[in-house]
Amino acid sequence: MESKKLTYGVLLRYILIFAILIMFLFPIYWMILTSFKSSEDILTRPPKFFFEPTLDNYRYAFEEADFVKFIRNTVIVAGISTMLVISFGSLASYSFARWNPGDGHIMFFILTTRMMPAIAVIMPFFLIFRDLGKTDIGKSLYLGLDQPGALVVAYTVFNLPFAIWLMHSFFQDIPMELEDSARLDGYGRLQVFIRVVLPLAAPGIAVTAIFSLLFAWNEFLFAFILTRDAARTITVGVSSFQTQQGILWGPLSAAAVICVVPMLVMALFLQRYMVRGLTFGAVRG
Amino acid sequence: MTADYMADQTDIDVVRVAPKKQRISDTVYSVLLITPAMILILIFALIPLGYAINVSFRFADLTSPRGVDTFVGLENYHFVLNDSFFWDSAKRTLSFAVTAVSIEMIAGVAIAFLLNSMRWFKGITRGLIILPLAASPVAVGLIWRNMYHSDFGVFNFLVSSIGLPEQNWLGNKDLAMSSVIAFDVWQWTPFVILIALAGLQALPKEPFEAAQLDGASTWRVLRKLTFPMLGPVLTLVFVLRAIDAIRLYDAVFSLTSGGPGTSTEVLTYYLHRVGLRFFRLDHGSAMALLFLYATVVFTALVMRRFMRDIAARTRQNVS
Repeated sequence: MESKKLTYGVLLRYILIFAILIMFLFPIYWMILTSFKSSEDILTRPPKFFFEPTLDNYRYAFEEADFVKFIRNTVIVAGISTMLVISFGSLASYSFARWNPGDGHIMFFILTTRMMPAIAVIMPFFLIFRDLGKTDIGKSLYLGLDQPGALVVAYTVFNLPFAIWLMHSFFQDIPMELEDSARLDGYGRLQVFIRVVLPLAAPGIAVTAIFSLLFAWNEFLFAFILTRDAARTITVGVSSFQTQQGILWGPLSAAAVICVVPMLVMALFLQRYMVRGLTFGAVRG
Repeated sequence: MTADYMADQTDIDVVRVAPKKQRISDTVYSVLLITPAMILILIFALIPLGYAINVSFRFADLTSPRGVDTFVGLENYHFVLNDSFFWDSAKRTLSFAVTAVSIEMIAGVAIAFLLNSMRWFKGITRGLIILPLAASPVAVGLIWRNMYHSDFGVFNFLVSSIGLPEQNWLGNKDLAMSSVIAFDVWQWTPFVILIALAGLQALPKEPFEAAQLDGASTWRVLRKLTFPMLGPVLTLVFVLRAIDAIRLYDAVFSLTSGGPGTSTEVLTYYLHRVGLRFFRLDHGSAMALLFLYATVVFTALVMRRFMRDIAARTRQNVS
């Protein structure tokens, strides 16, 4: 179709697309809407779309439910684990892309660790960190139960396989000639990596960082099992509004907004990179 | 430097200006680079796995004074394989995965075609449509639970306003699983859309132009050209989704807690019940390992092809 006329077919298509977008975005809209409702406005029949907004739920989350602590914990854990994933992962991924140590077998093994259902290792993890937390090394690295170090390690280990796999395609795409000519110019292998390869692979590494951050931020099970109070994260905080007396929908929505919206904003701004990352492995790699 | 290097093509070893003397061979170097990652993975993936394997062969009931106890051979595996709850939850998980992934694939590819034909606002539409993926399943799951509320939920409101009867989405044991499936479809169809869209955009133009010149119908083009070329991409998406679908947990946790009864109790949830509620670590470990084994075998069969391609590419690069 070469013409740019606004035919009925095109109009219909755009209406359909608009309807689809509404379907995918409605729950998010509802979440944000509910977070500003006072408790009387939440459980109503019919549900209210127009009402007097209030910040009560957010106030409750920050003051009574200690969400500042949760946010701080999540930021620390997600941030540090992402940094570890990127540093360890890029080294390993580059090595696999360039020299393939283990001839594919080690890499295959790493991929299989990604398949482990978290629920299978959760008890051993609990016991390992319980014991580690009692040792001196454990205490200094915050590696005990209800300590951020435990989550950092757990998230790093679980994100590494995916990160290595993702960055692998990006490293493979860097032409060998560039590295070779740098070697000929007298640079050592590490210098080649830092000066030549890394800048070129930067977009791919950025994508991997985005995804590692996303997974760590949104993770629930490990945070739920390995933390109780001091190191609790946002996702666990959100679920904690399911109480014996029932679900506190107002504060829960506010908590959900705190949990979800930062990642939505990141996704909106960085969507081009995220799409590249998701599709790189699928379409190219 | 370049003049010397290019003049003597047959004897490439001859001229190097000032190459750094390697003290460590390439092989050792490559292993050094993977060491930090491997140490972490070996310690925190293999040891827990080893522990689970060990416990699966022993008696382990954390509520009894015996705790983790004597070797009992394959007794735990026998128990699990004869446990009707285990098989029920396995069946449920499989039926969930098949249904959810099928819907996601069909809807995802269809919507990808739709998006691909857009002339304006393509980028922002794509950006908006990936938002469900960025949301934490537990957080949005709980919001969905609110929307599914039988008396005050907005879904029943919308449904009744177009004349259809209101439902007990999460409380009706015949409907609960479908409600969970709907949530999963909402969150993961964008994933399929994204990858299918990228696949469509990566297709070469020439075959399609040629087909158009030959006057081929749209349907024929789809059947003989588009779908065969999209094959690898769609297979990969399918595998990725399948592996994640059978590991569903957060959604069940926030929407139904396995209920009503056990109608939405998928494998991971039953596992959690056995290991963390009943504290039967022995049965739990055996179950988890069977689960892991099934997943690994399934993935290995499919991924082996991809691994061979990756190894081949690397060999080309190195040589």
